[in-house]
Parts: sequence; structure tokens; C-alpha cells
Amino acid sequence: MEVDAIPNGSASETAMENAAAATISPTPSKFSGLAESLKLEHQFLRVPFEHYKKTIRANHRVAEKEVSAVISSVTDAADRENMSREEAVHHFTSLVSRLQGLKRKLEEGNRTEQMQAQKCRARLDHLESADADNLAEWNSTRLKRILVDYMLRMSYFDTAVKLSESSNIQDLVDIDVFQEAKKVIDALQNKEIAPALSWCSDNKSRLKKSKSKFEFQLRLQEFIELVRADKNMQAITYARKYLAPWGATHMKELQRVMATLAFKSSTECAIYKVLFEPKQWDHLVDVFRQEFCKIYGMTLEPLLNIYLQAGLSALKTPYCYEDDCTKEDPLSQESFRKLAVPLPYSKQHHSKLVCYITKELMDTENPPQVLPNGYVYSAKALEKMAKENSGKITCPRTGFVCSYSELVKAYIS
Amino acid sequence: MELDSIKDAFDRVTKKQKLSSSKSHEVVDQIHLELEQVLQKIQLADNPECPVNLKSVFSELKTKLKDIAPLTQLESTQKELNTALTKYPKLVEKSFNPDISKAYRNVDFDRHTVNQIIASHFYRQGMFELGDCFISEAGESESAASMRSPFQEMYQILEAMKSRNLDPALNWALNNSNKLNECGSDLLLKLHSMQFMEILQNGDRHDALKYARTYLAPLASNHLAELQKLMACLLWTGRLDCSPYSQSQLLSVTNWENVAEELIRQFCNFLGQSYESPLGVTVAAGVQGLPPLLKFMNVMAGKKQEWQSMKQLPVPVELGREFQFHSIFVCPVSKEQSTEENPPMLMLCGHVLCKQSIMKMSKNSTKSFKCPYCPTDIDATRCRQLYF
Ligand SMILES: [Zn+2]
Ligand SMILES: [Zn+2]
Repeated sequence: MEVDAIPNGSASETAMENAAAATISPTPSKFSGLAESLKLEHQFLRVPFEHYKKTIRANHRVAEKEVSAVISSVTDAADRENMSREEAVHHFTSLVSRLQGLKRKLEEGNRTEQMQAQKCRARLDHLESADADNLAEWNSTRLKRILVDYMLRMSYFDTAVKLSESSNIQDLVDIDVFQEAKKVIDALQNKEIAPALSWCSDNKSRLKKSKSKFEFQLRLQEFIELVRADKNMQAITYARKYLAPWGATHMKELQRVMATLAFKSSTECAIYKVLFEPKQWDHLVDVFRQEFCKIYGMTLEPLLNIYLQAGLSALKTPYCYEDDCTKEDPLSQESFRKLAVPLPYSKQHHSKLVCYITKELMDTENPPQVLPNGYVYSAKALEKMAKENSGKITCPRTGFVCSYSELVKAYIS
Repeated sequence: MELDSIKDAFDRVTKKQKLSSSKSHEVVDQIHLELEQVLQKIQLADNPECPVNLKSVFSELKTKLKDIAPLTQLESTQKELNTALTKYPKLVEKSFNPDISKAYRNVDFDRHTVNQIIASHFYRQGMFELGDCFISEAGESESAASMRSPFQEMYQILEAMKSRNLDPALNWALNNSNKLNECGSDLLLKLHSMQFMEILQNGDRHDALKYARTYLAPLASNHLAELQKLMACLLWTGRLDCSPYSQSQLLSVTNWENVAEELIRQFCNFLGQSYESPLGVTVAAGVQGLPPLLKFMNVMAGKKQEWQSMKQLPVPVELGREFQFHSIFVCPVSKEQSTEENPPMLMLCGHVLCKQSIMKMSKNSTKSFKCPYCPTDIDATRCRQLYF
């Protein structure tokens, strides 16, 4: 871009300010750009760490539970009168083997923890490894990571595994974490609730903290299934046990679902009919996905959608939807245009001129030149054209012909 | 990226994890040992020579376990571990952008469109098996695989080139020679030259000459200089490495790479595709565009509603020059982007402003004004509209 002379005194004040601002290049250096982009990788570190933490906590709970069970069993034996020798031998043999089992579990748990720690560390190392020299490769790995994330969220596990293995990025993606979700999702899609409920109890405290009502929704569905099967008495018993505790916070929904007892599953009444529809199960899958993402500190949307949205907005100009949009612009493609329709256009504070002929940026080195008909091309392109055509310039868009000497330079700030 | 403090925090976690783990082992070992001893004693109780009072053995054990206080021991190391476990994510959260979806607009992307884009990406990267696997797993229709066969042809040509077989490449270039000519590409000549050099390197002067007459001569009118150079190589048949051309472009590996690149470029061009993967370009633009948007959302917190309906991004997003596909003119006076109604105008001095600014400064062309960038007097009626 041409850096302009100092504005003269007669200019309006805003023009002066603008002109002054225009001389400061806002383009961030490559390096600060890289640092900024790495800051987007929160989830990349967070997810394996949550997984690691979860394993540590679970292993610790097992140790605590087993040890206290053994202690109370010893206390029991000590407090019992007249335990026979045989009984005592039997009792202690089983305690000893229980402890041996615990030791094995602890070792195994420790191994898992080490492996997960290794994964966390691999991610730190990967972030640290990004620098100017390997940026192209690093960026290509990032795209693969983002695609694996998309596959996992959409439950395309085979593709996720294939992509991560063929690119050797297993440590950089969260397939293991999503395996846990897969069990629950598969079951819900088969209209089985049990794995989802056991997931809820594994994550009780976290779900409670975020005021999740996922478990309640699962219970409601189980109740609905009892009503559907005409097991009314069973449904009532079930509701007393599992739904009533949610009454304090979710009375309205509770009442609504209890009313189905009066209507049965064949009801035509819209409010109740919907409760019996199979899409309720799809809804449970969606809710589960969200809860799952929250617990692991993931964005609710696939990373791909987030990056695509930001990228499309940053690239979108009114010119993208015209026929002569260059092929190199993703927005020249129908599929990308379609995705970008509901998104805002980009905003620029500074002119950016791209030569129609060479597609190169026109700047101080390669300044814009104006033909008598007002069409602008880069100096490089016009010089070349003049050289090859003995000084004759033909405007590629209008067919207008002039001589090289008729060109004037434009100063764009 | 400066990750030292984060790495330190993580090291603390793993250190405490190891401590806690070995503590658990130790505690369980202790109990195990005690119980085994008791078990031995009970088994000895059968021996009438040294009778054992079970009751006292049990209460002795009970006291011992109390002294070991296994649960307290377990808890003590776990406490330290917990502290480290809480600190690390907090530090990570502080150093990173904890929620990159803050600038996400709640629009649902059509899943099939996204899947089709991904499938095309896999195929254009030459990952055919993966693309197939994806399409079948996602249950997408055949049309999502529309890019498969054209890109497969391209990769077959490239694979052959890697093993120094130019036939498929030449075949393709011959079939597309008119189109190549139209866009000024001399790919065909380059491929023929490479083939000619291959024959020469294998030492067959006769074949080389025949090849040159058949394929290179017809191209001579436009590429005489290249042809002369190639024909001169005939003098060094079989010992090109000691010819004046040994260091030349013609023989180098990079030449092969450059020609392969040119082939990809033209191949994609004729397919109506870009040279770079459009998915890769868009995601890379997103990575650059997201930080300023997130910064803005942090400032604008609470105005999420407005964000959802904006027609234009609220802040400028500066992308690298590889993402500039269109000329954007921003009037330096009004700071607005030019439009058809408000086009850029060239003033006599060579500076450019948009029409509205000129109208304003000239009071609707009724008086002359001074260019804000140089002391020239400007007559608004003599400004010319520009087309970038
Ligand atoms: Zn465009
Ligand atoms: Zn001027």
C-alpha cells in the first residue's frame, strides 16, 4: 500500500486522523498471529486432563472403598464371639485375596494414569513445537485434529480412528474419551437407559454442580415407557421412587408427564402425544452430548463448525457471490456459499487491492495503475503486457486498447 | 509458545500422582502383610503345643490397623494431589481462550453440505479410502463422492510421476492441450522435455531423436530456445552428468516437483477446483479470524443478541495476503467500503476517495476542494470512477 504524504492543513480533522491511522500497519506479525492462534487450543489441553483427573479420582475411590471394607471386616471378626478356627482361616484367606485383587487394580490404575498423563504431556509438547519452520505441517495436523473432533461428535467413529491412525495423531485426539460417550449414545439409540443412568451416577457431583436435569429427563423417559407398555402400577411405583425427588425443582414437567397415566400412549392430545414420540430418544442423545461436552470442558459445537464459521465470515465479501469470483476463493464454491449465507460479511479498515490479472496484492512494490477507461491493474501485469505487445495495453475486461504511456498511477491509502 | 509455567504446573500434578499412587501401594502392602501374619498365626492355632488365642490375635490386629491409619494416610497424599489437580486447569484457563465458541452464531450448518465438503477434501488430498469410509459411515449419498474419480485420476498421474513414469501425465496433457494453450501453460512442452531427457539419460540417442521429431518439433514455433537447448543435449547422450547441462533445471529433482505442482494446479483448474483445499483455506482463515472476534465478544459481553443479527462483522479481521481474493477499497476519509452506488474515484493528483466523500467535500460538485493528502486543488467533475 502506498504510504501517503502528510495531509495538508486544509483537510478536515477526521480526514487527518484517518490518514494518520492509515499509515500504521495493522497487520499483526506472523509470530504474534501464531501465539494468538495457539491460545485457541484450550480444549486441546483441557479434555485429556479432565480424563486423567477422572481416572485418578475413580482409582482413589476404589482404593478407599476397598481398604475401609477390609478394615471393617477385620473389626467384625474381632468383635465376633466364638469364631471357629476354620471360619477364621476362611475369613482371612478371603480378605488377603481381596487385598491382592486391590493391589492388581491399583497397579493397573496407575498404568492408566501414567498413560493419560503421557497424553496430556504430548499435547503440551505439540503446542510448544509450533514455530515458523514447521507451520505448514503443524497447520495440516491441526486441520486433521479438527476433522477427528467433528467425526467423534457426529459419532463417525470408524472415520475418526482411520484418520487418526493414518496420520499418526492418536495422542492429539480424544477418541478414548468419546468411547465412553459412544456406549451411552448407542444404548440410547437402542432405547436403553441403563448406561446413561450409570454415567449420571459416575458424574453425579459434576452434573449437580451444573444443575443438570439430564437424569430427570432419563427417568421421565423410563416412566413414559412403562405407561406405553400399560404397566400403570409399576409406573406409579417408579414415579414415587425416581421422579418425586425432582418435584421440588421440576414440578411442572413432573405433572405433565404424570398426566400421561390418564391419556395412554395412543393419545391424540398434542402436549402428551409428543412425549411418546421416538424423537424424544434423539433429544436425549442431544442432551447427553451437551452434558458430556460440558463435563470435559469442550465447546458444545464441533470445532470444525466454529472455525468454518469464523473463516467464512472473515472471507465473505459482496464480490464472492458474483460469477467472476476466483476459484481459489472457497466462497466461489456452491457448498461454501450455502454455509456462508446466514453469516455476516467481513469488515475491512484498509484497502486491499488484488490485481485482476495476476491475482497478486497491489502494494508499494507493485502499485495499481489506471487505464484511461478507469480499470485498474498491477504495474507488473501491465509492464509484462506492454513488453509482449510492443507497448500496447488491452483491458482484459472491456477490450479497451491504449498505449502504455497513457497509464497513470493511483495512490491508495 | 511460552508454556513453561503450565508445564511446571503439570509436572507438579504428575509428581503428586506418583506420590499418591505409591502411597496407596504402601498402605495396601502394610495391611496385606499384617493380614498374612494373622492368617499364619491362625493356621498355627491347630498345633496343640502352642495354642493361639484367636480373640487376642484379632484385637491385636485391630489395634495395629488403627495405628497404621490407612485411610488417613491415603487421604494425606490425595489432598496434595487434589490441590495440584485444581491448580493446573485454572492456569490453563488463564493462559488460553477458555471458550472459543463465544463468537459463534447460532445457525445450524446443513450437515450434508458440511459432509460433502469434508468428503471432497479427503479425495482432493488423495485419501480415497478414508473418503469412502466417511461417506458410508455418514450415510451420505453417492453425489458426495462426485470428486472421487477425477482426483483419483490426478493421483494416479502423480503416483506414476513419482516412479518416473510420465506416460499418464503426457496422456492427460495431450487430451487437454487446447485448454492448456488457452491459459498460457507450457506444461505439455515441459512434460515432453522431461520424457526426452529420460530417454537420453537411458542412453538411447536414436530413440531420443525420434521422440524429439515426433513430439517436440511441433511445439518449436513457440518454444524455439528451449528446443535448441534440448537438442544440444543429444551431444552428451549417456553422459549427461558431465555435460554443461548437468546442473541445469532439466535434470533436477525440483524440476520434477515443480512440474508435478503445475500439473496439480492445471488439473484442479480444469475441474473448477482451487489449488489449495477450500476446507483447509477456510479453517486457516478461521484460525486467524477468531482471535479478534473473541476479543470483541469479550468487550461486547451482554450484546450477544446484536451479534446474532449483524450483517457485517463488527470489527475488522485482518487476514494474511494468501486470503485476499477480492479488491476491497476502503475510503480513507469516510472509512466505508466502496459499493456500486458509492464507487472509488480517482482525483487528478492520483489519490483515491469514494464518491460520497468527494461529493461532501465539494458541496455536491459546486466548489473545488483540497485533496486531503496533497495540496492539489480538486475539481469534483473531473474525477474518474475506478474499477479494480
Ligand atoms: Zn470471494
Ligand atoms: Zn492528492
